Amino acid sequence: MHTNSKKKIIISYLLLVVLTLISAMFAEFAHAGTFLSETMIVIIVSLIVIIKGQQIVDIFMELQHAPKLWRYLMLSYVILVPSIIAAIYLIF
Amino acid sequence: MLHSFSLVRVNIYEKAFDNTPFADLGIIKTMAINQTTQCESDTPLENTSNAKNKTYLPGDLAMWFFILAELTVFAIFFIAFAVTRQMYPQMFIEGQAYLHPVAGGINTIALITSSLFVALSVEAIKRNAQSTAKYYLIAAIALAALYIVVKSWEYKQLVDAGMGLSTNTYFTLYFMITAFHYMHILLGMVILAAMALKTGRGGYLGQSLSGFEAGACYWHMVDLVWVILFALIYVIQ
Repeated sequence: MHTNSKKKIIISYLLLVVLTLISAMFAEFAHAGTFLSETMIVIIVSLIVIIKGQQIVDIFMELQHAPKLWRYLMLSYVILVPSIIAAIYLIF
Repeated sequence: MLHSFSLVRVNIYEKAFDNTPFADLGIIKTMAINQTTQCESDTPLENTSNAKNKTYLPGDLAMWFFILAELTVFAIFFIAFAVTRQMYPQMFIEGQAYLHPVAGGINTIALITSSLFVALSVEAIKRNAQSTAKYYLIAAIALAALYIVVKSWEYKQLVDAGMGLSTNTYFTLYFMITAFHYMHILLGMVILAAMALKTGRGGYLGQSLSGFEAGACYWHMVDLVWVILFALIYVIQ
């Protein structure tokens, strides 16, 4: 049995909150005369989702020390799904 | 070290006797309770060199298959939403103007904080801090309730503005996906409440924690889905 330390969990949480606030900033302000192109916003937001997903999978779900198959399955989900959505938005 | 050793030994005894006629005698349970209550401490189990080298899947396998199935359904919804958005960009821009990004942001923070409390409750129960684990679960449920209140308010705003499932493709997808997630939150709250009740009456003392971990992982899955949903529905325009 593996247990994440409190400190590790709280650091991960703070990272998730900061990334959420950055995303929320994009949702609120970025579209009114934004200084970033739509393409850049899609890429940045997708990267933020991937990092948040990785933190939830590895730290909150405690898969960092799980059998590789399950960890990689879940990590591939949090990488692939935002990437596919970003590709649909940017390519089509 | 002694703490971890005792717990490992108790687990071995439990596993060895689980399927034997001796399991009913209550000896194993009594031993487990004695061992675990004796050595309540802040030292996490990972401090043993053995635990560090071994891989460990939290919860049980059935829950992970269930989580994978759920995530697949949500992935199909997400991709359908993205593809439809490319087909009707104007309709999606107009529809999105009715949403409240601040409400979405509050809900994201509420769910992430709720997940934090669930992760802390897992950490607490693994070092046998039963009441701490219970209070963390109650805090997680309270934040989930905040999510429900904010989301319900948002639905009411939309309905008052005359929007519904049949308004257009955007709102059909919006309501379907978010309501499906909303139901997962409700189910998750029931699971967390059951875990809190069992923890409150000492149901996990000296027992396997896989049910507790499985419930926690389900909740993190609901959080994970919302993180993607938030970006898809509120952020990218």
